[in-house]
Amino acid sequence: MPEYTVKHQQLLFDLKNTVESLLVTQVANVWSIYGGLSRLHNSLEKIFKHGVKSQEEDGDYLNFIQGLEWLQPEHSKSYFSVDCEYESYIPHHLKNDKSSIWLYRSIENHSLSQKLSWLLSDKTHLLACYQSYAFLCQDSYAEATIVCLRAIEHNQVSLISEINPNLFVIKSPGREYHKVHRRCSSFPDNHSKIIWDNKKRSKSFDFNKSNKKVIKESVLGKLKPWNSLPLLINDNIKLKDLYRVNSVSKTTPSTPVHTKKISPSMIKVDYSILQAKAKKPIKRPLKKIKHVLINNQDIIEHKQTLSSSQSSGNVDITLKEKSPVHLATSPLSIVDGFLPLAGEKDYRKKPKKSFIEDGGMSVLPMATGFFPRPTKGQTLTSFLTSSQFSRANAELDRENAHFKISEAIISAMEQIKCKKDLKLVDENEMDDSDPEIFDLKQRIRLRRRQKMVEKSRFVPGSVLSDGRTDTTTSVSPNSTTPDSLSDYSSSDDVDDYEIDQASNLIENSGLSMSMASLYSEADLSKRPRGAPDGASDVLSAEGVALSLISKFSAKQLPRASELEWLVSEQDAPQALLPMPKSWPISPDDGPQSSSTTPLRGTQEWAPPRPQIIFTKHTAPSRKDLMHKQNYRCAGCSMKVAPQYASRFRYCDYLGRYFCTQCHTNQLALIPGRILQKWDFTRYPVSTFSYRLLEQMFADPLFRIFELNKNILKLSKNLQICRKLRLGLFYLKDFVFTCKYAETIQERFEQELKFYLLNDPEVYSIEDLVHIKSGELKNKLKLLVELCCRHTSECKICTARGFICEICNSEEIIFPWQMRIVRRCSKCGSCYHSKCWKAEVDCLKCERITKRKQSLDSRS
Amino acid sequence: MAHRKKVLLKVIILGDSSVGKTSLMNQYVNRKFSNQYKATIGADFLTKEVTVDDKNVTMQIWDTAGQERFQSLGVAFYRGADCCVLVFDVTAPNTFKSLDSWRDEFLIQASPREPENFPFVLLGNKVDLEPRAVSAKRAQLWCQSKNNIPYFETSAKEGLNVEQAFLQIAKNALAQQNSAVDLYNEFPDQIKLTNTQKPSGGGDSCAC
Repeated sequence: MPEYTVKHQQLLFDLKNTVESLLVTQVANVWSIYGGLSRLHNSLEKIFKHGVKSQEEDGDYLNFIQGLEWLQPEHSKSYFSVDCEYESYIPHHLKNDKSSIWLYRSIENHSLSQKLSWLLSDKTHLLACYQSYAFLCQDSYAEATIVCLRAIEHNQVSLISEINPNLFVIKSPGREYHKVHRRCSSFPDNHSKIIWDNKKRSKSFDFNKSNKKVIKESVLGKLKPWNSLPLLINDNIKLKDLYRVNSVSKTTPSTPVHTKKISPSMIKVDYSILQAKAKKPIKRPLKKIKHVLINNQDIIEHKQTLSSSQSSGNVDITLKEKSPVHLATSPLSIVDGFLPLAGEKDYRKKPKKSFIEDGGMSVLPMATGFFPRPTKGQTLTSFLTSSQFSRANAELDRENAHFKISEAIISAMEQIKCKKDLKLVDENEMDDSDPEIFDLKQRIRLRRRQKMVEKSRFVPGSVLSDGRTDTTTSVSPNSTTPDSLSDYSSSDDVDDYEIDQASNLIENSGLSMSMASLYSEADLSKRPRGAPDGASDVLSAEGVALSLISKFSAKQLPRASELEWLVSEQDAPQALLPMPKSWPISPDDGPQSSSTTPLRGTQEWAPPRPQIIFTKHTAPSRKDLMHKQNYRCAGCSMKVAPQYASRFRYCDYLGRYFCTQCHTNQLALIPGRILQKWDFTRYPVSTFSYRLLEQMFADPLFRIFELNKNILKLSKNLQICRKLRLGLFYLKDFVFTCKYAETIQERFEQELKFYLLNDPEVYSIEDLVHIKSGELKNKLKLLVELCCRHTSECKICTARGFICEICNSEEIIFPWQMRIVRRCSKCGSCYHSKCWKAEVDCLKCERITKRKQSLDSRS
Repeated sequence: MAHRKKVLLKVIILGDSSVGKTSLMNQYVNRKFSNQYKATIGADFLTKEVTVDDKNVTMQIWDTAGQERFQSLGVAFYRGADCCVLVFDVTAPNTFKSLDSWRDEFLIQASPREPENFPFVLLGNKVDLEPRAVSAKRAQLWCQSKNNIPYFETSAKEGLNVEQAFLQIAKNALAQQNSAVDLYNEFPDQIKLTNTQKPSGGGDSCAC
């Protein structure tokens, strides 16, 4: 039953790995390693559950462990009674599962190896509880498990070497299977998952009865990616054979011999054919490019285009040969191409929202903690209704925002109340005034006011400083200045307080006025200002508070920046937030650790922010950078032991190291590398960056000539595209305003994005990719030719042409004839470049200034 | 001989934005008026067949953009114009002030053979509106200073004087073409040219 061997090996491998990683740190108490116990518990539970005879689907091994009651009665007394004191230490999800708790406790108090050996000693009991193929029924594997447990109990990593190494070596078909799995470990979410899923599904079958089905399914699972590769199926005879194998396996249940046929060497052959196929259609259009002459003379240097199209063709081919490097290394990578997480991404699929639309805010790191600060002088209402609150994209942010808003409202109320009281005191004093005291008071008031002015003059810079940690500028966010918000007291301006209607209202009825009266119908029918849909409708607590606040005049309310926060940032520094002090045992830790990490930024770590990075990072020194990162994953803040720092993965976009959960070796184009080096290689990036880059892929974000002055030297295609785009920029003014050019207009709308015409200097990464491939050049060239043909024939377009004022010849010139025409950047008039010498001013501009001067002098 | 060949008269309408150039043209060609303002982009033309002095002529009327922002487009169509119509808004003094620059710019870009004798016609539009900011007197003075340009006060909205003005424009354009071709100078139109001030004066008094 080779398919079980694989499972056995996997379970054992898992366990051994966990044990090894727990012991490698040589800590006195292994359970002090964060998450260690629960991870070990997890692996062991899988072992205990494997092949268990049980009514329930996921298998309960309670029967098995109950055997202890008669095997070793003296020890079994308290196994299932959990005392209250202990309960709190058991992870939540275990609390309802007796056997799990038993396992957990046994691992924790180092008694499992003994108990397990007792249990295993009775073969009849074992077979009564487990199927014959179960992990624990295999002597060698069961023994290995006990060895692992002993290693943990004695804290001796060397014990693991006692495990028979043959258990990990796979003979027969399992061999490729295992390899497949190993290979996948760096491509975490692909092939192995399929196998896993199949395994899981197969579990639901009754094993004894449906062996055939299970086997068939697992074979299908292997072949599944190939099914979706029509080219290969049609063109490759060997694959057809493979298919036949598949169909044969339907009839004959014993498949090992057949599955063996799926060997990597065969797959490699298939791939080379695929590669050759893929190349052909790319070459063809390049060859077809011909010099098309247009009626309008010499538009945008056709000769150059021709020569470069040839050279670029070569470049393209080499590119195509180069790029499959990632792919060609293993046959598996073909499979990767069909799976969502693999390095190559499918750009045809449009992301839901582009970077430009939401500033990358929909791409969330593992944890976010962003809260807007009030700007100085911002009114309270505008701060509270500011859209920044509603941008709360993570649940956590929303929650935080809610607290922040409630706090702001409460403290605003308190401040108003306080002011009112002070004012009353002031008034009372004034009542018994003789003119001298009054005069004095007046003076004090003046001085206070002056003080206020001075104060506000010195403070502001720091008031606006945003306390957020910044991942780009400094890795250790300690450098950020503490927020001085709370220093800024507003109590000095008590004297400026004015009573108006609203305050009278408070005086008369107090704050205890019923909500209903505060709630005018108008309020109910309209949303608070600036509040987007659903973010804060009037009936929410926030809405109620806002309408309450709106009853006060803006004058009375403290400015948002003057709010005295009940709990200031200084009183509750981020350090107080819970952060795991220890580290998870393995940086490749399984899914159970993900729930423990989402935190806001801390003093040691800040969540990655959606940034556009234009430069490429210098080659990283892992040691230095990890140190700078405080040995924390840049994505989720998980801490890693220095000796495990090598397991972290470098994100080429953000220039930070990430844990294997936040960085799954997805490959992406790096804008900085393209812009600086015209390097279109895909580099491994973190999941966060990958999604961010995917989101900004089609967005025109890069003024590439400003970002790199030498970029034109890097690509001939880019030079051509730049000229073509500039040409189109001029042409569109004509074509889009011409009533006879409707078909061209429609074509533009279909084929070109808006910015390609309107802002010739701005590019998206997608454009650059298309420039590199020559695709954009061909597209633009066709459109330019189309437009030129129209403008040269159209009555209206020629009427809108220019006449060189300098030579005054009858020839009509156009701005896109860049070789012979020069255009004044100020007034837009065109001259022959041979007529208009650089040092002379534009004639029309001269006239315009003269007219202006005479107008000015007249008036 | 007048009917011997079809004559094409090229007329250019110039003036600041929103003085009513397009409206005047539409009123004349289509007899339609719309209160909605839509900025003209670049230039466009309409044609109208008219009979001037027993002669069938085709008027090609070029409506232009008054706004400066349409600089990306050139004015090659000025070339070969037979008459230029300058328009201002009688309720907006600035539109009157900029007439000079429109005229200068036209003469430079069109570069006619005899710039000083090139036929212009001045239209003071929107006389239906109050309050009036440019008096007829002031407009006429300006016309005199520019070699006696004919002046009409019009309302594109009410169709006031539009027909007459364009008839005059056609006549002047025709005269210009004939003098340019320098063929027959027998037409009495030129005498009428001087008489044109009479109707304009009449229009003036009407409007006031």
